[in-house]
Amino acid sequence: MTRTEFMQGNTACAEGALAAGCRFFGGYPITPSTEIAEHMALRLPKMGGVFIQMEDEIASIAAVIGASWTGAMAMTATSGPGFSLMMENIGYAVMTETPCVIVNVQRGGPSTGQPTLSAQGDMLQCRFGSHGDYSVIALSPASVQEMFDLTVEAFNLAERFRSPVFLMADEIIGHMRERVIIPDHVPSNQRKPYEPGSLPFRAGEDLVPGFPAFGKGYGVHVTGLTHDERGYPCATSPKLHEDLVKRLVGKVEGARGSITSCDILNPDAEVVFVSYGAPSRTVQQVLHDHPDDNIGHLRLKMVWPFAEMVLARFTNAEAFIVPEQNLGQIAREIERHTDKDVVTVPKLGGDLHTPGELYAIVENLK
Amino acid sequence: MSEEDWLRQDRLPHIFCAGCGNGTVINCTLSAVEQIGWKRQETVFVSGIGCSSRAPGYISTDSLHTTHGRALAFATGIKLANPQLNIVVFTGDGDLAAIGGNHFIHACRRNIDLTVVCLNNMIYGMTGGQGSPTTPMGGLSTTTPYGSGEPAFDLCGLATAAGANYVARWTSYHVRELTRAILTGLENPGFSFIESLVQCPTNYGRRNRFKQVADQIEYFKSHTILVEKAARMREKGEMIPPEMILAGEFVRRNRPALGVRP
Amino acid sequence: MRLQIDERRCKGCNLCTLVCPYRIFKPGKRANRRGIVVPELDRPERCANCRLRHLYGRTLCGNCQMICPDQAISWKEDEEPVPKKVAIEY
Ligand SMILES: Cc1ncc(C[n+]2csc(CCOP(=O)(O)OP(=O)(O)O)c2C)c(N)n1
Ligand code: SF4
Ligand code: SF4
Ligand code: SF4
Ligand SMILES: [Mg+2]
Repeated sequence: MTRTEFMQGNTACAEGALAAGCRFFGGYPITPSTEIAEHMALRLPKMGGVFIQMEDEIASIAAVIGASWTGAMAMTATSGPGFSLMMENIGYAVMTETPCVIVNVQRGGPSTGQPTLSAQGDMLQCRFGSHGDYSVIALSPASVQEMFDLTVEAFNLAERFRSPVFLMADEIIGHMRERVIIPDHVPSNQRKPYEPGSLPFRAGEDLVPGFPAFGKGYGVHVTGLTHDERGYPCATSPKLHEDLVKRLVGKVEGARGSITSCDILNPDAEVVFVSYGAPSRTVQQVLHDHPDDNIGHLRLKMVWPFAEMVLARFTNAEAFIVPEQNLGQIAREIERHTDKDVVTVPKLGGDLHTPGELYAIVENLK
Repeated sequence: MSEEDWLRQDRLPHIFCAGCGNGTVINCTLSAVEQIGWKRQETVFVSGIGCSSRAPGYISTDSLHTTHGRALAFATGIKLANPQLNIVVFTGDGDLAAIGGNHFIHACRRNIDLTVVCLNNMIYGMTGGQGSPTTPMGGLSTTTPYGSGEPAFDLCGLATAAGANYVARWTSYHVRELTRAILTGLENPGFSFIESLVQCPTNYGRRNRFKQVADQIEYFKSHTILVEKAARMREKGEMIPPEMILAGEFVRRNRPALGVRP
Repeated sequence: MRLQIDERRCKGCNLCTLVCPYRIFKPGKRANRRGIVVPELDRPERCANCRLRHLYGRTLCGNCQMICPDQAISWKEDEEPVPKKVAIEY
């Protein structure tokens, strides 16, 4: 039965994961994400799942990837310092095409920074933080409801694309309490099964190979080295490497138009806010306070892969205003894709922009 | 089935140098796996990065060749998510004790049901012969050109102190004893740690007075002393020369273990 | 049973020459086409495994195969084995 509850963002994230079918959680405590681990520790054992507190975040993501190779849906949750530690194995998940979900409840950085305050400073790190060329999927929730919904979505995308998927939350959304509607059933995608006898790393048109889970007698070799379609290491062929990396990037980037998820308000507006995560809530307030100003709003629920085509939906746009809790990380990406003005509105320190601050920018542009 | 069926025939010969001890330890491990009667489809080999960690790539079961130092953390995830699987981890001295040291002690502490075979060649083989945490005092390597000035780790002592259920050490000369130790490790629930000293003729032997492959094997043969004998000598107050390799079983016990097949 | 070295796998390390109680393996003298000096076999019919495997129904000795790092040593059936009953005398 669908139920309505009043809960914290981090709890909603954990509930979303359980609803999606997550049965393995490996993590290491870190503010402001710890409640996710705590809730999983409470709930997973009763659902036949496994919770383990690992010795650090490197081990956490490693255990998650290992669990995923048995066919389990698996996740970890962390914040900046732990996220930095995970980077090498995130690249490993990309290279080995291992479905997994990584939640980052962002805090102020660099370094230990502001453990209890909100930020969005890891948006480029999640896109580019591991070495080499690759592409990832990252979602950004702006409400407690979305902590639930987008976690479900993250699992579905991870399964479908055999890729790590990030839930890039922030301290504000993680610690906020709101009403959440928890449905009885959530949509679920299972990873495409492997066809016995076929080459384990050969992909069809969707560029995603079937998943040869461990323990079924397939005898698959999985390596982070550049590998051929049999999964065997072959790190010296330029052509093989190029084809593999282009397929890994292509399977995500090629789908960006069809999988992207965003809210579009007032598409005929001349001044358009682009936001994701907590700052979206201030933008919503500005639109609410000034209904006659025809202000546009593009709220990204999926930040990566960046679907630049949605910008064109604002046919009259003269300027994009981008409030972020960083020094302009996604604003840079928008600049790459438009010849309109891009106004970056950075905010550091943990506070949100105020509606007045943002409206002043709109007035200025008029 | 025979040991040959556990090999990926299409990948042989392997990349190891002539005379490298890694191949011998693969033989011993597969012989033990064959003797215990595990099925291919329920067995997984896991490794980190290094020459030694290339071993699973030559074994025909499911195999996960992971990142440097992290094999035990990956293996922990596999084992907990599916305790029906039998898991053997191959790791090198650098992989296990340097970059992976933290995972090592915690896997021992959890006493998770894995069998870990450490191919200790006392050097970083794959990267061309740099010093490792097990390079002996005075040992020559490209990063200890004047002889290593740091004491080496006693991996078996570490595993014992950290809580592993089974701990043994042999060398690539002692193929029978090593096979038996690995078999005992496979049988024993909980964390089983088998260290095998192996020759790395290319990057260790060559620089450390073992001109021929055989020289280091002869050294293993002549410089091994059984744990029991060492204990007797100690009781009698006799000195055990520091260069002697203590071999045999250090621990076999029944601490509560994690991830044991229900 | 016939003892054999797979020349496609052998890397010429000579470890087999160290462990055979019958000294059947002798260091080779000439490099093969791959540039590898494969050991020579001196009267391999003396090998314990060749002689006794069928009698006991399991691998005997096997030192050379076990230590060979390159999985190059094996035994080949050369005739139909004749199962023989052995009475072990104490
Ligand atoms: C994070 C990281 N650091 C460094 C390396 C480079 N590296 C590859 S193998 C290796 C050492 C391997 O030594 P060991 O584990 O003893 O294995 P061996 O090659 O001696 O068998 C190093 C440092 C790496 N692959 N990853
Ligand atoms: S470098 Fe050393 S450890 Fe690596 S394959 Fe060669 S002999 Fe073996
Ligand atoms: S031990 Fe094996 S690889 Fe080495 S020389 Fe003998 S047959 Fe060849
Ligand atoms: S099995 Fe034993 S006797 Fe036979 S060749 Fe090998 S080492 Fe010699
Ligand atoms: Mg080493």
